Amino acid sequence: MTDPGQPVRDIRQLLNGTTRHLACGADIDELLEQAADGHAGQLTGHQRHCPHCQAALPEFTRVWEPVRSLAAEHVAVPSALKTAVASQIRKLIADVWYTLQPSDSGAIRIAAHVVATIAREAARNVPGVRAAFGRSAHSTTAGPAEEAILRHRHPHAAAGVLGRTAVVDLAIAAQYDAPLDAIAREVQQRAIAELRTKTGLHDVTVNVTIDDVIT
Amino acid sequence: MGADVDDAYLVQRAREGYLDAYADLVDRHGQLAYRVALRLLGNHHDAEDVAQEALVTAWQQLPRFKANSRFSTWLYRIVTRKAMNRITRTPPTESLDLLGDVPETGDEPSQRTERNQTVDAVTKAVAALPPPQRIAVVLRHFEGLSNAEIARITHSTIPAVRSHLFRGRRTLSQTLQEWR
Repeated sequence: MTDPGQPVRDIRQLLNGTTRHLACGADIDELLEQAADGHAGQLTGHQRHCPHCQAALPEFTRVWEPVRSLAAEHVAVPSALKTAVASQIRKLIADVWYTLQPSDSGAIRIAAHVVATIAREAARNVPGVRAAFGRSAHSTTAGPAEEAILRHRHPHAAAGVLGRTAVVDLAIAAQYDAPLDAIAREVQQRAIAELRTKTGLHDVTVNVTIDDVIT
Repeated sequence: MGADVDDAYLVQRAREGYLDAYADLVDRHGQLAYRVALRLLGNHHDAEDVAQEALVTAWQQLPRFKANSRFSTWLYRIVTRKAMNRITRTPPTESLDLLGDVPETGDEPSQRTERNQTVDAVTKAVAALPPPQRIAVVLRHFEGLSNAEIARITHSTIPAVRSHLFRGRRTLSQTLQEWR
C-alpha cells in the first residue's frame, strides 16, 4: 500500500505490480480498468470524496490514452484480401471451369464464376429482389465426360458451365409483399438477356429459387 | 444488396455452395479478421497472411459452424488461433511496416512523426504482451468485446479473462509510462 496520508505522486509506484491497492483501499486494477474503458469521469460515491482515487484516475487515463487513440484508428483492409480469399477457395473446390467458344480466331473462355456473377447482378436489379446469389451448374444433359467431372467435384463447388451451355442456379431473397412469381420470371429474363449479351452464350438456363422473404 | 440480409442467411447460402454469399461475408468481416490479426501480430505482412488463412479456414469449416452462434464470434476464434499459431511458430522479428495503415491526417510533419512514434510504441508494447494477455487486451480494448464474449471466443472463463486483462493492462501501462 502507498503512504496513507499522501495521494500517489509517482504512477510507476502504482503500476510496478507489487501494489494492489491505493491508500484508501481502492483496487488499482479496477481503477485502471475504469480509466482504460474511458469511464474515469464517472466517479463512484467513494471516488467523489477520495483524493487518492481522484489523483490516480486522470493519471491512468493519460497513460492509457495512446492505446485508446490507436484503437480508434481506422484500419484499411488490403484491397487484395477479398480477391485472394476467393481465389484460394475456388482452387480448393476446383471451380475453374470455363465456357469454351471456339472461333476461327481462337478459343474464348469465360470462367463459370463469372457467368454466375453476371446472372446474380442482373437479378439484383429486379425490383422486389433483396438478395441474390448465383451458382453456375452443369447442364443436366451433360455427357459422360461431364458427368465424370461432376462425380469428382467438391460438394460445395459452383460447378462450371460447359462448352456453349450454361445453367445457372439463382437463390433469391425477395421483398415480403412482392409478387413472387412475377419476380422470378423477371429475374430469369434479365439474367438470360445479360448472359447472352455479355458472354455470347445462347444456350442458357436460369433456375430461380426464392428461398427467403424479407419484411 | 447483400447488406439487406443477415449473416445467418449468408452463412446458409454459402453452405449450399453459393460462393458469392461467402464473398459477401468476407466483405462484411474481412476487416475484422485483418484488424485483429494486425493488433495481435504487430505487422501488416503477417496480418494479411493470417487474415487470408482464417477466412479460407472459416469457409472450409462452414459445415461445422453452429447456427446458434454468431459468425463474427466464430471468426474471432479462428483469427486468434491462427495468429497464436504464427507467434509460436516464428521467432519475433523487428517489424518494418507497423505504420503502413496510418492514414494521412494533414498534420504537420513534426506532429505526424510524433503520432507515428506513438502508434509504433503502442503496437510494439501490445505485441510484447504474453499471448493470453495480448488476446484479452486486443479483444477488449481494440475490438470493444465484453469479458463474457472473450471467454466464449477463447474457450476460457470470465475470471480467467479478467485476470489476463488486469495483468495485461498493468504491463502495457508500465511500458507506455516508461516510454513517455
